[in-house]
Order: sequence, then C-alpha cells, then structure tokens
Amino acid sequence: MDGSISLTVAALPADAPPSVDKAGLPISVGALLPLAILSLWELASHLRWVKPVFLPTPEKTVVAFFTMLTQQDFLLDFLASIEIVLQGFIYGAGLGILLGAAAGLSRAIQRILGPTLDGVRQIPAIAWLPLIVLWLGIGPLAKVVIITKVVFFPVFLNTLQGIRGVPKDYIDLSRVLTLRRWQFIRRIIIPAATPSILVGVRYGAGLAWAMVVVAEGLSGMQGIGYLIFRAQALLLTDQLLVCMVIIGVVGFTIDRGVLLLERHLLRWKQGFEGN
Amino acid sequence: MMEQGSLRLRHVGKQYQVKGRTLDVLHDINLDVEPGSFISLVGASGCGKSTLLRLIVGLDAAFRGRILLDGEPIQGTSLRRGIVFQDHRLLPWLTLSENIGLSLENMNWPRQRKQDAVHRHIELVGLAGFEQAYPYQLSGGMAQRAAIARGLVSEPEILLLDEPLGALDALTRIRLQDELLRIWQARRVTMILVTHDVEEAVYLSDRVLVMQPHPGRITQEIALDLPRPRDRASPRFTEIRQRILRDMGAVPALAA
Ligand SMILES: Nc1ncnc2c1ncn2[C@@H]1O[C@H](COP(=O)(O)OP(=O)(O)O)[C@@H](O)[C@H]1O
Ligand SMILES: [Mg+2]
Repeated sequence: MDGSISLTVAALPADAPPSVDKAGLPISVGALLPLAILSLWELASHLRWVKPVFLPTPEKTVVAFFTMLTQQDFLLDFLASIEIVLQGFIYGAGLGILLGAAAGLSRAIQRILGPTLDGVRQIPAIAWLPLIVLWLGIGPLAKVVIITKVVFFPVFLNTLQGIRGVPKDYIDLSRVLTLRRWQFIRRIIIPAATPSILVGVRYGAGLAWAMVVVAEGLSGMQGIGYLIFRAQALLLTDQLLVCMVIIGVVGFTIDRGVLLLERHLLRWKQGFEGN
Repeated sequence: MMEQGSLRLRHVGKQYQVKGRTLDVLHDINLDVEPGSFISLVGASGCGKSTLLRLIVGLDAAFRGRILLDGEPIQGTSLRRGIVFQDHRLLPWLTLSENIGLSLENMNWPRQRKQDAVHRHIELVGLAGFEQAYPYQLSGGMAQRAAIARGLVSEPEILLLDEPLGALDALTRIRLQDELLRIWQARRVTMILVTHDVEEAVYLSDRVLVMQPHPGRITQEIALDLPRPRDRASPRFTEIRQRILRDMGAVPALAA
C-alpha cells in the first residue's frame, strides 16, 4: 500500500470529513467495480458478444427507462410496490416490536406465543402466498400480509433477545433509583434493547423489498415484480434490466435509510459507525 | 432529637444457598453510624462488603437482624439511601445531566428545582461543561464523579460507596479521594465507603471497620481523630495504616 496516503490521513485535522477511510483507500474506490462492469456491458453489447435480445446496450436500456416512464405506467407500478412494502413493513415491524417486547417482558406470554410462532416461522412466506391469495385475492392486501409476516419475525426475535439481554445490574440500578415498572421499561429496557431491535428492523426491511418483487411476480397484474416477469416473458430485456436496476437502487436506498436511522438512534454508542 | 442519617445494624446476618449448601456470608454484624460521619469498611475480597451494602440500600430483604435508619427499619430501596457502584453504572444512552436527573424521576419536586439540583451537583463534582456528554465521552474518573453526583442529587441521608475508586489509576484515585472529602464536608451526608485500599480508608474516615471472611464479620474497629487534610506520610498515619494491615493479616507482625 502507498505510504504517502496514510501520511495524509495523519495530517488531517480530527474534525475534517475524511476523504479516505481507515484502510487508506479513497472512499470513491467503491465506484471502481460498477464502472468496470458497466464498461464490460458496453463492450459486450456493442461488439455483439451477446445477442441484443439477451443483452441490449446500456443506451437502449436508458431509453427504455424513459419510455416506461413517459409512455407506460411505470411510475404507478413502482408506487404500488413501494406502498405494499411500506405498509407491510410498518405492520410487521410494529407487531414485531410490540409482541417481542411483550414476550421479552413476560415469560408467560413467551410460553404462550413461542411454539405457535416458531411453527409459523418454519413455513416460508412463499409457501404461505398461495393460501393467502386464495383467501384475499391477487390484490395488494395478500402481499401486504406476506410482507408483514416476513418483517415480523426478525424484528420479533431480535426484540425478544434484546430485552432478555438487558444486564441484571441495570435492574438493581432501577430499584435503587426507585423507578416504577413503566419508567424502568421506558428509560432502561427499551433503550438497552434498541441496538438489537434495529438489527432486526434492518434485516426485515431488506427481506421486505425482496419479497414484494417475488410476490408480485407470482400473483397479480401490477407492481415492479409483475413488470420484471412480464418483461422476461415478452423478451423485453431492456425493460427487464431497467427493473433490475431500479430494484437494486431502491434496496440500496432502504438499507442506507435504516442505517442512517440507526446512527441517529444509537448516537450514544461508543465509536458507533454502523456495520 | 436525633439528627437525620443515623444508621444502626443489629445482629445482621446473611446466608446464600449455593448448590444446596448454606454459605454464611455475614455473621452477627453490629454497627452504629452517627449522622454525618464517614465510615470505611475494609477487608479482603469475598468477605461480604458488597453484600452488606446491598442489604443497607434495600436491594435484598432476605437477611437476619435489623437495619434501622433514624430508628425506623428500612424497607426496600429509597431515595433516602443512595449508592455508588464500583462500575459507575451510568446509562450509556443518557447524557450526563439526564443520568443524574434519573435519580429525581420520582422526587416530588417542581421541575425547576430538579433542574437546579442537577446543575448544582454537576458543579459539585467538578463536571460543569459536560452536561450534554454521553458516558462514552467521559474518562473513568469523570464517570465515577458523575455516579457520585447521581447518588447525592436526591439529597439522601446516607450514601453508600462500593469501591467507587477501585478501578481508577493511582493518580486519579488520590485526586478523587480529596474530591470525595470535599463533597462530604460540603454536604455533611453520612457516608459508608467500602474499599480494599487501607490507605484510602485511613485518609478519609472517622472510623475504619476491618472485616474478615468465613463468615463475614467485623473484627476490628479503629477510630481516627487525625485532623484533616491528613498527611499520608506522617508517622501517626503510617502507624495506623500498618496496624490495620496487620489486623487484616496482610503484614507479618515483625515486619512492622
Ligand atoms: N448472589 C449470590 N449467591 C451466592 N453467593 C453469593 C452471591 N453474592 C455474593 N456471594 C458470595 O458472598 C461472598 C461475599 O461476596 P461480596 O459481598 O461480593 O464480597 P466483597 O464485596 O467483600 O468482595 C462471596 O463469597 C460471594 O461468592
Ligand atoms: Mg464487592
């Protein structure tokens, strides 16, 4: 590695925004690989290494994106997917935190819920989908239910674990400070469990977005998941690629969004920089 | 009329059941602490010092004998009895002033009085300017000062300190001993300090109680009338320190 780069790091004032990270690499180094892949794509499509029907050029794909935006209902499909994910995520995360906290605080509740939830958990969301579609139809509701299920479990389990992991010393402290039960929960239990809860939330958010694509592909006539499978069936490879890129960008944005939330909520943590 | 903060222990005993066996941790502890005095408990680790403080603060009600504060048997925990744990035990998600304010959560004071009390105690322990700092931003010594402020802010009659300086480096420790002395003199609150540092006990206390294990009991009581601030190098000081160490079995009799 180049020694002069590390020297520059040492010379930076402590509060300057770092343009190089601890490994001594410029942060923009993360853009190298995508650029290489993009160049390879350009080459492969322009030089016809792959047939255009299987791999359109990047330019044609960009054009397809604008066609979809202006002449088709891409925005509607996109928003339909986003709405399903948002709803399912809010229900799943809310329910997961609520029931996870209840089970974490009360062994009785944990005993009552535990076996049922562990059973439900073993049947993957995809396997639930056919039955739920039978009951609720191919509209958004069935998908919201599936997303709720997918988000619920990681949030529930991490909330439960987070609460059980609260150090016993804090219980002594809360007694010495004469905190009442609700004060103890609000001021000690919930903050102490937050890092663990957020791990579940972040994981659940990722799953939710992946699952909406699958669920829309398997049932219904709307959404980005529907579009991507339709594009495949009609050999509209440029549209298929557009969908893939959009799915990737949204997933990336969701993950970074949760990460920012995490950084804000956990700003009290020593040296917390996300992971 | 009795002043506030007088503590009496009568025939206090404590046993733990460990794997079906009965462990005698404290045996027939008798103790009278005058209001406003500074008492130290010294003894090897495992002789029941922390257990005794847990009983007095009210975290453990399963004991024999009686513990009276101002003539009344203690019942559970109370803001009249504060404790500082060896690990400062500040909550990492609360700022310094929020941590200290947590002690006042159930005090029936107007908001303004609470704010003033927090502010005054932050100043008392010399942490002005760090009100908004999170615990990870404080050094060990600062965190321990904050814990002392949290213990004092509700104006308890008695403050128990469980090796509060045990984890600090020698220099910080000596500095905080002087701070503790200053705080105690400013507030005139009854203090019971647990420590394994005999010099610390002699430097600070009106009275040093030596404890021995198996079962944990008080074997020696030394009243100290040296004027404060005490000179650690003075012949009287070293003589008393050596005597206590000898009582504890730490120094062979002839070596002194
Ligand atoms: N919760 C407990 N259960 C069983 N034994 C305990 C418990 N707490 C402390 N003890 C035992 O009681 C004895 C005294 O402990 P402690 O009061 O912590 O001593 P010290 O503070 O003087 O080091 C030790 O032998 C310890 O192992
Ligand atoms: Mg101890």
